[in-house]
Amino acid sequence: MGLIKIFTKAKCPRCPAVKEIGTELKKEGVPVLNYDLDTIDGLAEASFYSILSTPSIVIEDEEEREVISWRGVVPTLQEVKRHLFRGIP
Amino acid sequence: MATVIDIKGDHQEFKEEVETTDMALFVRTSDEAMLGWDRQRIVDALIRETYVDFDTAKEIAREVEDLIATSKIKMITAPLIRELVDTKLVERGLEQARKMHTRLGMPLYDVDQLILHPNKENANVPHGPEATNLTLAERIKKEYALLSVFSQEIADAHMRGDIHLHDLGFIDRPYCSGQSLEYIKRFGLSLPNSIAMAKPAKHPEVLLAHMVKFAAALQSHFAGAIGWDSINLFFAPYLVGMSDQELEQLAQMMIFEFSQQAVARGGQAIFTDLNLYWEIPKHFENVPAIGPGGEFTGKTYSDYLEESQRFAKALFDIYQEGDGSGRPFFFPKPLVHITEKFFKTPGHMDFLYHICDVASEKGNTYFVFDRGETAKISECCRLSFKLDQTDLEDAKQPWKMRYCALQNVTLNLPRIAYLAKGEDSKLFSKIAEFVQMAVKAHLEKKLFIEKLLSLGEKGPLALLAMERDGSPYLRMHRASFLVGMVGLNELVQIHTGQEMHQSKQAFKFGLKVIAHMKLLVDKFSQRYGMRFVLEQTPAESTAYRFAKLDLKFHSPKSGHIVKGDLSKGEVYYTNSTYLNNSAVLNPIERVRQEGLFHPLIEAGALTHIWLGEARPLKSSLANFVIKTFQLTQNDQVAFSPEFTTCNRCYRTSRGLRSSCVYCGSEDVDGITRITGYFTKVSSWNKGKIGELRNRYRNQTFLKEKEEGMALES
Ligand SMILES: [Zn+2]
Repeated sequence: MGLIKIFTKAKCPRCPAVKEIGTELKKEGVPVLNYDLDTIDGLAEASFYSILSTPSIVIEDEEEREVISWRGVVPTLQEVKRHLFRGIP
Repeated sequence: MATVIDIKGDHQEFKEEVETTDMALFVRTSDEAMLGWDRQRIVDALIRETYVDFDTAKEIAREVEDLIATSKIKMITAPLIRELVDTKLVERGLEQARKMHTRLGMPLYDVDQLILHPNKENANVPHGPEATNLTLAERIKKEYALLSVFSQEIADAHMRGDIHLHDLGFIDRPYCSGQSLEYIKRFGLSLPNSIAMAKPAKHPEVLLAHMVKFAAALQSHFAGAIGWDSINLFFAPYLVGMSDQELEQLAQMMIFEFSQQAVARGGQAIFTDLNLYWEIPKHFENVPAIGPGGEFTGKTYSDYLEESQRFAKALFDIYQEGDGSGRPFFFPKPLVHITEKFFKTPGHMDFLYHICDVASEKGNTYFVFDRGETAKISECCRLSFKLDQTDLEDAKQPWKMRYCALQNVTLNLPRIAYLAKGEDSKLFSKIAEFVQMAVKAHLEKKLFIEKLLSLGEKGPLALLAMERDGSPYLRMHRASFLVGMVGLNELVQIHTGQEMHQSKQAFKFGLKVIAHMKLLVDKFSQRYGMRFVLEQTPAESTAYRFAKLDLKFHSPKSGHIVKGDLSKGEVYYTNSTYLNNSAVLNPIERVRQEGLFHPLIEAGALTHIWLGEARPLKSSLANFVIKTFQLTQNDQVAFSPEFTTCNRCYRTSRGLRSSCVYCGSEDVDGITRITGYFTKVSSWNKGKIGELRNRYRNQTFLKEKEEGMALES
């Protein structure tokens, strides 16, 4: 299982929904990293993944390679889970 | 202007007359008149120029007179008198008065050197009487700027090399500008202070002549680049019914006119950008077209697609041929915008092959990537920005689309890293400090330019104050203020021990620095209601200047950091946010990685692909361009070949060589891109020569023919 990166901004109408997904996954033990694009670290990390809109979600494998991403869209919790646990025995 | 005072007669008898101020001195004044010695002139100057009181002024004048009288000098110059007065001000601790009383000028030796030897600060200036005039004027204005326009704090930061204030010699002008041809199509050529006024052009040749004249007028009001938006489209209504041959001739005239402008200001070519589109840009689709005589044609620009495309093709035919001896045209620079609509417009692949052919053969083409559905335009200094609602309103009357950048201030990033001594918190607070200095410098320059503009059409910036369409030509509220950077790669290297291409951590740290700067300029933009934007400074001489100053102030550490050859003095820092020039990287990987910075940098973001001698297939380049558009965030790409041109047989060959391949002559010049333009290598400063030696020319990748430039996705 890899980890999940969530990119949000303070003033972004659909961001709370994505933060919600993050909170849920965290409860289930998934490593979740939150990035706020109004901060240095958040903006730098977003630039690294070419994230130009919020909210966005990136799933990475163990080697920090991108598995899948949702950019500027809000997926369902199930969708995220499906990709997160794919290939896990 | 001679300002020599000859002391007449015997020194002894002249001393006796001291008290009467009746010295037998003749003063040659700057208005070329001979005047007798008059102590009162010192008093007058002090009262006029400084805040010292009358009694002090009288006292100083008397002391200076006494000094001259008792000395054994036979001849004295007026500047020396002024310096003597200044020493008296220093003795009294009147520092402010001394500053105000400063004489600006140059030592005889320097002027001599200047007239005899070429200036290498800007490779775009050839050596000649006009060029030396320009340099002389620049020197004085530079001193003036540092003494009188900027605060001591900012001037000192510049002198130390913490920051670089660009074009100080052009302190009384904005930096660069973006133009719309529609302005001269609609209003003709009626410039303030000019004797003849021209009505809107009726024929394409006349329109071109107006454009060239106007560009020359603009060049004398801006320090840097003059960009023209959608030039092929705006010419189109004049081109209806023209044969291919006529079009080709017009294209040839345009390119020759702008490449031959070495007779303009200081013998300097006008730094011209031509923005070209294969499609009708979305924001101009339904805009009423202006045609011959400045009249609306009754059609919209959508109706001129064919003429617009034919003209663009014709221009590239000329670029492909090059000049009389087969060299690439240095100016004007063609910038082709690659957009979503480009790929939806019929014929785009043929056109793409054509411009890629030119890129491979001559290197002229700049590929500008405007992704997404939002309209963007490119102004000067490669500043592109999304059009907001007011811009889209302006686009309906395109003559209103005039933009400028008021000034460019560049930060010495490696300097910050030396000062931070490896501490993160110190590094980030120093960056904030430096950005703040740049902002302060902008506020000071803005105040000065506004003072000049407030004098209106009777003032020194009459052209920029003229109001032909109801608002001043220079739209201050749309001005940008550029904050550039040099040596991000070296900052990261000093702070983390690795260069950006060496590890992911190092690369990400670079992103953090630029993200910090981006958030800062955004914050200042909000605070002051001005547009501060990050820029990839071309840094033709700044990268060299910063490296030299850091070798002085931050040795021995800096000795291991600066790039180039220390023993030859050919030192430099890596430009802006670029990866090390010599790093062996797949070109598409360089374009991708450097492109990750581009969304944070609104002005001038570009990746150079150095081709060396290689001449890749046009299909390979086209493939490369498409993938860059689709798979990266890179804003702009240019491919730079190298040439050797012979001064004996006037033929040009590929690659940089020490002798001519045709006639064997060693009287040859190398030609390639220095920063954002082509020029002769012999005119480059040492720092850029150092960089040229280090440039990785992508040989291995280019050898692999078809796949060579392909993206490994
Ligand atoms: Zn030859």
